[in-house]
Amino acid sequence: MATVAHEVGIKKNYLTAIKEAIYEEMGLNPGLISIGEDIGILGGAFGVTEGLQAQYGTQRVIDAPISEAAIVGTAVGMALQGKAVMAEMQFIDFISCGFDQIVNNMATYHYRTAGEVALNVTLRGPAGAYGGGALYHSQMNEAWFAHSPGIKVVCPSTPSDAKGLMKTALRDPNPVLFYEIKELYRLRDIEEELPEGDVTVPFGQASVRRAGKDITLVSYGQTVYHCLKAADILAEQGLEAEIIDLRTLVPLDEESIKSSISKTNRVLVVNEAPKTCGFAGELVARINEIAFEHLDAPALRLTRMDTPVPWAKPLELFVLPSVNQIVELAQRLIRY
Amino acid sequence: MTLTPTASSAKSKAADAAPGEQRLPRTLLTPEDHLEILKQLYLARYFDVRLIKEKKRGRLRGTLYSSHNQEAVLVGSLFGLKSTDWISPIHRDMPAFFMKDLRSGWDNPDRRAMSIEEVCAQVWCKSGSPGRARDNWSHIGKKSAGIIHSTSMLAGTIPVAAGVAYADRLDGGDAVILTYNGEGSTAQGVFHEAINFAAVHKLPVVTIIENNHWAYGTPTHLEYPLQDFARRADGYGIPGSIADGQDVFDVYDKVMEAVDYARSGKGPSIVECKTFRAYGHGDHDDDRAAKYRPVEEVERGRNRDPIAVCKSYLVEKGYLTNAEAEKYKAENKSAGETTDEDFPPEVVAYLKRGVDFALKSPDPSPEEGGMWVFREGA
Repeated sequence: MATVAHEVGIKKNYLTAIKEAIYEEMGLNPGLISIGEDIGILGGAFGVTEGLQAQYGTQRVIDAPISEAAIVGTAVGMALQGKAVMAEMQFIDFISCGFDQIVNNMATYHYRTAGEVALNVTLRGPAGAYGGGALYHSQMNEAWFAHSPGIKVVCPSTPSDAKGLMKTALRDPNPVLFYEIKELYRLRDIEEELPEGDVTVPFGQASVRRAGKDITLVSYGQTVYHCLKAADILAEQGLEAEIIDLRTLVPLDEESIKSSISKTNRVLVVNEAPKTCGFAGELVARINEIAFEHLDAPALRLTRMDTPVPWAKPLELFVLPSVNQIVELAQRLIRY
Repeated sequence: MTLTPTASSAKSKAADAAPGEQRLPRTLLTPEDHLEILKQLYLARYFDVRLIKEKKRGRLRGTLYSSHNQEAVLVGSLFGLKSTDWISPIHRDMPAFFMKDLRSGWDNPDRRAMSIEEVCAQVWCKSGSPGRARDNWSHIGKKSAGIIHSTSMLAGTIPVAAGVAYADRLDGGDAVILTYNGEGSTAQGVFHEAINFAAVHKLPVVTIIENNHWAYGTPTHLEYPLQDFARRADGYGIPGSIADGQDVFDVYDKVMEAVDYARSGKGPSIVECKTFRAYGHGDHDDDRAAKYRPVEEVERGRNRDPIAVCKSYLVEKGYLTNAEAEKYKAENKSAGETTDEDFPPEVVAYLKRGVDFALKSPDPSPEEGGMWVFREGA
């Protein structure tokens, strides 16, 4: 079993893309073990691992107790013994229950063993707001982990990126934290035909999702689509926005950001996580370090307010970045 | 000997264990093994007192967590392991790093452990340490030797041990993983999560509780409401036994029962070794520990020195003469009261080798501080 049979002309959603990547990698690497809550018998809360246990057995597809710290800790132990591990967090919000094992144990292992031990562990889980998930089923907490040296952080926005990046993650000898945007899982608008065969997407390479000359919009995950919609509106006004989809936060593709800004001379970072100490703030700081001389206006960020994500729709949309806000800020920066 | 099996452990062992020493694991030890165990106690003690002296002279960086008076737990639990087994020692277990697999020969180059040279290089903060002095003291390990690397977060290696055990079993191995934990660490959430996981999957993980009755400055009764922590095992559906942590042979018996049980596929267990911390939590705490712990409790806790307990047993068994027992008197002395003459010369020479190596080992180069965050070339 190498790859899922390619179906010409069949468009697939973001969830199926991730599912195929895991299924294929489990087949290619007999040393890959999957562990998580409800991933076996049930096939995962969202169905990402549906059929995985039937195919690869209960030894390699483990239904874990509700114990995030134990899931991460045992994944570390298995990887220490030479296995590759895919560990699912049922919702990325629950990852905080395993926080110590991630940031103090897993992330530091290669460093503190002076390179003796690298841990091939991919933690993955559904993330993101805009779906009424409320405080504990809406988070984007990537900044916690980007701030912990030793973890690669990934967040795809398209089905083919999701598949290719997941395959890369499952092969990377280092810990990877993989943010899946659950609002994109079954979004029909973004379904696409997946590349044929064993195709991976490398870490550290951003993707230009739309070319433009007037402003650069830097984003990842769900807000890439907010940027695309904003770009459509700006285009009606004769303003061309270029959209950089980072795809991986750690490692960060500084070159693509710099190259775009050198052309547009303006940049807005859009991110659905809270403002203070969010990854958007990191990006603005980096932009000042690497592209200050190209800027004709301040590098700005649009983020969620510094609040949790509330439940009721008017509340939720109030605190999150919107297409209109992107348009307004972009106009302001272009006029600056 | 104080064998107090819990309800479940008594039940699970009823079939193959009978009261009386004739069935105990120690009965398979040779007279030479008995003497080797005594020598290992001397080695653990000598390492500790030497480090205390070095620390007091300001030659060591960081904090020293003395294992004084708790050596029987280490020696007794390590002695029966196979070289393919794994351990995860914590801060008070520094001797474990070089005493693992010691039975295969102190100078055996293929011994699956850290060498005395590597451990001393670690203590002296030198590049000769397997971790190149990147994290301090006991936060060290060696994958190729079957030693899990700990962090400062207590009980954090138990899930790692469970993962190692799971993967090893998947590969057809029969390794048993011994994790060391203070009684204070049992209050951590991950302690529960990991043992529960190990119990569900019947993993060969033996959790040693080094119950020295003080978690830093907090007494046992404020950590858990049990007379005997081992009873907690009942809640996990696994055996829990209690060993006299001052009696190296009782520790050996209880741990070997747990190890055999684990290796036979029956699953994890907890062995509570009741012992007592000689000094403060770390050397920075010695003065305060003398105040927050009642004098009579400290005296009671230290009046059964593991070296003395071992010697009197060996004399009783006829493996050691009274004259031989009197030759090296390391027991019932504080670190400052001991001299090299209180230890067998081969013990002194062994550590000297390690210290000499450490002193000659270069400091890590500064730029190493920025290296090895990720495995490159991936």
